[in-house]
Amino acid sequence: MRLSPYTVAIGVVAAVITFFPALTDNLYYQNMVILSLVFAISAAGLNVITGYTGYISLGQGAFLGIGAYVCAILSQHVDVSPFVWVPLAGVVAAAVAMLLGLVTFRSRGPSFVIITIAFLFLVQFVATNWTSLTNGSAGITMPLPDWDPALGNWPFHLALVVLLALSLVMSWWIRRTKFGMGLIAIREDEDKAGTIGVNAPVYKLLAFGASALFVGMAGAVYGYYLTFVDPIGMFTILVSVQIVLSLILGGRGTLFGPVLGAFIIEPVNAVANNEFGGGNVRLLLFGALLVLLVLLLPRGILPTVAGLPARRRTRGTAGLTGARLEIAERPPPPAAPAPSGKVLLEVKGLAKSFGGLRAVDGCSFTVPEGSITGLIGPNGSGKTTVFNLIGGSMEGDGGEIWLDGRRIDRLPPWSRAHLGLGRTFQTTRLFNEMTALENVVAPLRDFSFGQLRLDGVSGAEAAKAQELLDFVGMGAYRDHPAGQLSYGQQKLVELAQILVLDPRLILLDEPAGGINPTLIERMGSLIRELNADGKTFLLVEHNMPFVLGLCDPIRVLAQGRCLAEGTPQEIQRDPRVVEAYLGDDYLLESTNGGR
Amino acid sequence: MTSFLQILVLGILTGGVYALLASGLTLVFGVMRVINIAHGAFILTGAFLAYTLWRWSGLDPLLLTVVVAAVMFGVGWLVYLVALRPVRTAPITTTVLLTFGVALLLEGLMGVVWGNTSHSIRPSYADESFTLAGLYIPEVQVYGGLLALAVLAALYLIMQRTWLGRAIRASSVNEPGARLVGVSVSSVAAMTFALGVAGAGMGGSIMGMLYPFLPGSHYQWIARLLAIVVLGGLGSLPGAVVGALLIGVAEVMASSYIGPEWTTAVPFLVIFIVLLVRPQGLMGTRLREDVAPA
Repeated sequence: MRLSPYTVAIGVVAAVITFFPALTDNLYYQNMVILSLVFAISAAGLNVITGYTGYISLGQGAFLGIGAYVCAILSQHVDVSPFVWVPLAGVVAAAVAMLLGLVTFRSRGPSFVIITIAFLFLVQFVATNWTSLTNGSAGITMPLPDWDPALGNWPFHLALVVLLALSLVMSWWIRRTKFGMGLIAIREDEDKAGTIGVNAPVYKLLAFGASALFVGMAGAVYGYYLTFVDPIGMFTILVSVQIVLSLILGGRGTLFGPVLGAFIIEPVNAVANNEFGGGNVRLLLFGALLVLLVLLLPRGILPTVAGLPARRRTRGTAGLTGARLEIAERPPPPAAPAPSGKVLLEVKGLAKSFGGLRAVDGCSFTVPEGSITGLIGPNGSGKTTVFNLIGGSMEGDGGEIWLDGRRIDRLPPWSRAHLGLGRTFQTTRLFNEMTALENVVAPLRDFSFGQLRLDGVSGAEAAKAQELLDFVGMGAYRDHPAGQLSYGQQKLVELAQILVLDPRLILLDEPAGGINPTLIERMGSLIRELNADGKTFLLVEHNMPFVLGLCDPIRVLAQGRCLAEGTPQEIQRDPRVVEAYLGDDYLLESTNGGR
Repeated sequence: MTSFLQILVLGILTGGVYALLASGLTLVFGVMRVINIAHGAFILTGAFLAYTLWRWSGLDPLLLTVVVAAVMFGVGWLVYLVALRPVRTAPITTTVLLTFGVALLLEGLMGVVWGNTSHSIRPSYADESFTLAGLYIPEVQVYGGLLALAVLAALYLIMQRTWLGRAIRASSVNEPGARLVGVSVSSVAAMTFALGVAGAGMGGSIMGMLYPFLPGSHYQWIARLLAIVVLGGLGSLPGAVVGALLIGVAEVMASSYIGPEWTTAVPFLVIFIVLLVRPQGLMGTRLREDVAPA
């Protein structure tokens, strides 16, 4: 077996860290490594929600403090080694983190950052004022270590090494499973993740729990190591800042970045404290580091270093954008199956207002099973809003939506996806940082807790995804990040993506919008082929030849209502439709156009 | 009843100062979608500047607030150019960390220059009070509160009546749209940031007459101001005023009826409750999230 230099280097570093107290008796350096371990564990935990899931928290230090307090309080009352309480401290911290995670059901982005700051201060407030439990601002003094003094810091050190190893194993495991893939989908585009079946709330709750579990345990060891726990020391925001700094410096979303960052920042911090008197120097140091990092090295060390060879390799070569899309010759699609006469989707009296504007106002229509139903109408007639209501990205003010005899208008988007509803967006929404293949593998056809531990991309799924990418003609691009693909290519990948859901009803929002004529034709034949295969379509489109050639029946929306419905021929002749949408000159143009 | 009225009046006067302090935070968020964590530190910088000017000149600190506002306008402009302009359109993660860094830098600088001890600005009338119909209101509270409300009224007029104000509002409602009709969003952002910092400085010099302060108090201030703008609706100026008055009154009441230590908890509780129950705040609009950012 040959080991790569990378593996050897990591092994050597791990060995040095593990046996560090054997290398030096100097307590100053031992202390530095112990604190670095504490911060590395905290940053690795933060990485799960910030790096993978995309929620930035300025309150991560709170879990360290909560763990320390759990251990300190229990040690006061029960006369056993405080180490006994370490696992429990982790569980309590994880439970509190999951409560914080509940908050993300309602607030994201800016609101969430604010909440994390408030959370940290609130926890500090409780620790200060719940005097009967925490002894208030006076703090709790813990028992001194009861082991042979010759052992020195070994028990603390080894406990933290084990916790760091466990956090890294968890982090590695999360990254390679369905769970991690769902988290990254949430980071890239949370609403989109919902529409492809990712049950975001459960994923996020578990991520929050995971982000605090080992941090709480490390907090317990940390408190015992300090032998003193108080609100100021435990819940100062500077601890949280140091954790965030470690993560950003090392590289968020990477496995070893948080560790690297922590082992750089803590020694620098120690020097600032000991050589320059701490206090203001430490503030200036952290402040300057944060500003400089964000401005000069926003991705952190590891991703930047990892990106260098790729940049050197691709320098001077043409970008992807120039590449031509190869369109395979395909057999003509078989004749469409005879419609079953069954109604697959029924929308009844749907309503949605934005302020005073009634975007959808009592809209009712049906989509027959096996059909390619077109939804047309002037701009602002409410087509995309109707799509958002059917897909569940938005909640309506009234009305009902039935999918195959089941009412779905109160279900969250992922449940609708699990029931067989797939949708694309007007402006494509792929997960830009993932490859085309990962994008296609990301959708989930159902939800179970067992699913979370499955491999992110299993062999069978990769094969299936490859097949779908080949089907839409994008097989050659499987390993390209989706963000680098052209708009038309992204549309095709997005179609392949929702096909993984094996949807019964596919909602396409302007499938022919903004792409070239060859691709429009390709899109049309893909839709026909899938339809022949039994898929039902509902599509919004402004390209009239495309709609009239492909769709039957057609529903016409105007001012949020269904104005008319019928076959393409009926629609073209309907005077109301001509007036509201097609325009008087429409028939003339279409005759001249030779269609 | 008198005591209730007293609390109410005190709360409103305090709220007026809070409103001025919060105005910059909410305007900057509106235009730039940046949560300026350094806002509290700018307030304290204003307070320390006012302190030094007052000790040096012996002038009435209320007059000095204008000087402080001018100086802080320049500081804000500079900070925008150096630190914020490069990341103006970056995601919130980036800008929050950046402004946090600025806050720490300012805290450290203040600590070096003025020391980490408690300061307060005490004009000759610091211990005087008005008594009116049985109410007992400290003079500084009255002057400070009224000055803050006057500045806010001026700010409101700027927002409603001037080209700059319309440009700020346009950029905050629809940035690409504002750009299309000829608003240089970057200059508007610079102007907004500088104005916000000037407001923070001016409010800070009033705050310095009402409460003792030290460099580390900026956390407490940013928490309180975040609660105010979240309650009023992120980005809304009238919302910030309403939020500030409510929080001002709530704090005075919590302190009188429950216990002084609860004053510090009010903002955090408000943040949690508002963001969970009504995330758009009292006067904010819900951002449409279904359309992908352009």
